[in-house]
Amino acid sequence: MDEEFNWLEYSESIEAAAEESEVVSDRRGLRRFLPRRPSLPSLPRLARPRLPSLGLPSFRRSASAPDQPSATDLLGGQAERPLDDLDERLRALRDRSALASQPPPPAHQALYDVDEILTGPELQSKPGGVISAGALSRAQQQQVEMLRDIVGGPGETGGSGGRSLRSLSAFSLSAVPRLLGTALLLLAVALPFVSSDYAEGELPPSVFPEDRHSPRTMYDLLDNLTRDDYVLVAFEYGPTAAGELDLLADLLLRHIFAQRAKPVIVSSNPIAIARARNIIRGINRSQPIAEAQLLHGEDYFVLRYLPGGALGLRELNENFADIARFSAKGLPTGLNFASLEEMTEIVLIAESAEDVRNWVEQVVSADEALRLLVATGYAAQPLAQAYADSMDKVTGPLVGIRDAFTYGEKLQTTFGGLVPVEAPVEPEVELVDANVASESQAEFPPATVSPVAVVPATALPQPTATAPPTVTPPPTATPLPTDTPVPTATEATILVVEVTSERNVNIRLGPTTVHEIVGLGYKGDMFVVIGSNGDGSWYNILLPGGVEAWIAAFLVEERVVTATEFAGARDSASTGGPAERAVLQVDFGFRLGKTGPRFYQAQPPATGDRPALALSRDRSGEISRLQAMTLGTLAAVLLIVFGNTIYAVRGLLRWRDGRGR
Amino acid sequence: MDQTTLQVYAVLFVFATVLLVYTARYFQRRGRQRPLRRMAAVERIGEWTNQSIEANRPLHLALGSTAVGEDRTAVALAEAEFFHHIIERADASDVSPIITTSAASSVPLGQDTVWRAWEGDAYLSRVQWYPPDIAYAAAVTAALKTDDPAAHVLAGGFGPELALMLDSADRRGQGSLAVSDRLEGQAVAYAMADECLIGEELFAAAGYATDDGRAQADAIVLDVWRALLIMGMTIVLMLEVAKRMPWLNWAVVLSVSAVLAVFGLIIYRRR
Amino acid sequence: MGRGQRFGTALSAFVAFVIGIITALSLLLGDNPALFGNQPGSDQLAGLLAVPADVLLRLVVIVLALSIVIGIANLLYVHVGRLSRGKLTSAVVLVSFGFTIYWYVARQGDASLLEAVQVPIESALAALLALSLLHGGSRVLSKRADIWGLLFVAVAVVVLLASLPLAELAPVQAWRDWLMRVPVGAGARALLLGIALGTVVTGLRALLGQDRSVRG
Repeated sequence: MDEEFNWLEYSESIEAAAEESEVVSDRRGLRRFLPRRPSLPSLPRLARPRLPSLGLPSFRRSASAPDQPSATDLLGGQAERPLDDLDERLRALRDRSALASQPPPPAHQALYDVDEILTGPELQSKPGGVISAGALSRAQQQQVEMLRDIVGGPGETGGSGGRSLRSLSAFSLSAVPRLLGTALLLLAVALPFVSSDYAEGELPPSVFPEDRHSPRTMYDLLDNLTRDDYVLVAFEYGPTAAGELDLLADLLLRHIFAQRAKPVIVSSNPIAIARARNIIRGINRSQPIAEAQLLHGEDYFVLRYLPGGALGLRELNENFADIARFSAKGLPTGLNFASLEEMTEIVLIAESAEDVRNWVEQVVSADEALRLLVATGYAAQPLAQAYADSMDKVTGPLVGIRDAFTYGEKLQTTFGGLVPVEAPVEPEVELVDANVASESQAEFPPATVSPVAVVPATALPQPTATAPPTVTPPPTATPLPTDTPVPTATEATILVVEVTSERNVNIRLGPTTVHEIVGLGYKGDMFVVIGSNGDGSWYNILLPGGVEAWIAAFLVEERVVTATEFAGARDSASTGGPAERAVLQVDFGFRLGKTGPRFYQAQPPATGDRPALALSRDRSGEISRLQAMTLGTLAAVLLIVFGNTIYAVRGLLRWRDGRGR
Repeated sequence: MDQTTLQVYAVLFVFATVLLVYTARYFQRRGRQRPLRRMAAVERIGEWTNQSIEANRPLHLALGSTAVGEDRTAVALAEAEFFHHIIERADASDVSPIITTSAASSVPLGQDTVWRAWEGDAYLSRVQWYPPDIAYAAAVTAALKTDDPAAHVLAGGFGPELALMLDSADRRGQGSLAVSDRLEGQAVAYAMADECLIGEELFAAAGYATDDGRAQADAIVLDVWRALLIMGMTIVLMLEVAKRMPWLNWAVVLSVSAVLAVFGLIIYRRR
Repeated sequence: MGRGQRFGTALSAFVAFVIGIITALSLLLGDNPALFGNQPGSDQLAGLLAVPADVLLRLVVIVLALSIVIGIANLLYVHVGRLSRGKLTSAVVLVSFGFTIYWYVARQGDASLLEAVQVPIESALAALLALSLLHGGSRVLSKRADIWGLLFVAVAVVVLLASLPLAELAPVQAWRDWLMRVPVGAGARALLLGIALGTVVTGLRALLGQDRSVRG
């Protein structure tokens, strides 16, 4: 309370209220329960001694108000009904007040009447009284304490020194569990960032498991986008959920950008619009090539915010053509859509279940042709899952950081960080080791980094700029079996593998998917084989420039070709076909451990269109975050179980005591 | 179900509700009042209003993010009605309750509620707006520290941020009643509030906080609709089950129902 | 109540009634030519019936967008008042309000304050919220020492455990999936149904001009 409590004003106001209750007969509210003055004499006469006026502070005199009944008395007086009529709670209150009204020991009576005033029977032990000491508010109790302090009345531990001691112990008692719990949680969350020794639990899988077909479908739908497609991306989360949803939003946007589709961003939350802009700005910041910056109005569009919650979404559905015409800054976007149906997909990134519900009910349910891809946080998962399970047009949900991790891994394996530029490009592409320029140079000395051709064997001439430094020794490459059929011909033959997968194939530094991706193979590309791993699931191959790398066996087919054929393939490549593809590396991936991203970037072509994406981000902290989540959850479970066990035991003891009595 | 059927059902539902509302109000006014089922949470409010009066501490009534004009206008109106009756009961206090909201369009509604229900001087500053969600929760927690409310009645649209307000109320020894029309907030309310209403109890609460027949009639209509809904769902469920059981026929159903009815009657009589 | 006042009340109730009925009918019956027998011209008729709701709802959306002005006015009013009573924290609110506006205007819509100030603050608050939730979660049984409180805690623990990426917890994950799909899903739907019912009943009260805000 702000102002000091004034007993005089207090009692006067109560008295005024009592008087008013006499005059106004149809009072509303609680006053109507106040008895009229004539009923007062029936109350037991208050046995309160009159205070002598020997220099007592005025608040004390008014506090006692010897001639007038207090509001408490008035309220107490109205409850003259049989005890059995009272409900359980009131009876409990009454019992408590009876207990509390035990007369205080006379030894404490420093002033002869203070105790009676403060804890006297008229306050507490009125038979059947509704209001009692048990119902004194905290502020009132504080006033009582203050009064006790001033007049030296019987506090529980005596004078003011004792009081501060008591309050200290009360503070520590109530705060200790809270502080301990907080400390435990903070410790659990902080540990993984400090040391990797406390890593607990498994990392999310690098592909969505078979039984979670909905996120898989979601990925595939976005993967089918082409450069003519527009995707409505609904940003429905504020800064509070940034930690949980930023990564998902970022990856979904990168995926859309990588497919050259154009996101059209809307939101019913103005802050979320600013947030979306900042995320795209972040993507642009990770883009070292000035010409490849994503441009508003060309690569993406941010529309005005939709006020009115669900009504705003309804309007979006009905008047999309109007809404799409203007950007968040009120400028024309140049978008001419007749309806929402022209959006290839609608992606919703939502923080709360309510947003999911609104989008499903107001936007997609109203139109047969629309479908919704949902990404949410943990809080909205149950509802989003229910919608996805029961409605065909709702796909997802991707949930929180763990799914973001998997999504990122999947993007990495699909694109391998390389996005082909479709515009004609000079074949002389200079490869740049982006890490050399980055801060992490010290962590990844160029000696271990092999700026191998990111270029398939048949695709491009040898890189001219950087000489391949020493390569990390490939893990135990066993020699190929000798019975490999090698045709006996006059011309020298070479054992190669040809990429047969329709998708781009990752070329890695070692024979596992955990190893660094150093390049990408396209269908029809051929690589010289120099070995394989133990079970034959990976080929050890030679990249142009003499660099060794590994490629997964199920993506390629073993072939034996003559040197002429191999060279011919290369020649034909240089005149068309795969050679026309310059490559840009986009690093979508997470790196396990602390190795950080390592990527290569093609320099922009001298002529032609703006290059496509060159996106990369440092996500070395993601692993620690995931592990912090795991440990934090463990700590939370412990605390919840521990705390509730204590309360359960306490409750049981009380229950037993109650029965015993 | 095609659109026309849906529309016809919707219109029928609306008319049936209107009919029910007026019937219930008629009976409630006629003095043949049907007692409402017990709602323990609302009973605590009396205790808090008493505290507010005795200690001159305000009550804090929070509308949360429920906005007038959006699809949750009805929720806002129900809350306003509930708050109206609470304010009336706390009328004898010297400090008027504080209403907070994070929806700007609800500010006038809050103002109107205070002005109508409060007989003393009610200042504009008794209704306070803060930006939505967690900022709202944090601001309310901080701003109300000096006002030291006797209790918090948090009824409206809240997400998990409700936990901040309830935790601070708990630490300061202030009572709390919470209900949210958002699922996340409802879960938090259940775990952390002293008292909690669930789902549609938010709409019925006004009927419990007053002896005004009209509000009580609305609470009864809600009860009736809910009972009908449950019955409808049960019947549909039973029919679905019956389809999968070839031995089930009307004779079995009737005889089982008859046995159940007899048992029910016996139990009812015993009580 | 004076005569003028009574007239005002009746008028506002009447306006509420008329607008409410028009919107409801237009929403319920609009845009469905089948209602008019699918004859020539029923398309236009159905479209025409949908117009009032469309126009009114658009108006509402505009009014709602403008209502932020009320919010800001209220914020300033409240905090100027508090400042005059010596609450210095209100000065912080007012100064940072002014600074943000200045920054946004002077830097032509630069949202870097959002990244540099609001996101960290709200993230910190979210962390605080996590602590509050945890503290609340550990004391559920002190508030509700009954079977339902116990059930609540048990489900919370199962869901939390299932979110741990430990292979040993696979059975718990199966329970969680079932819990989420069946009881939690059912409960959530029931809550939403109840709220929808309440919305209809309360909405009708407003529609019929019976709500306190219009009937006085």
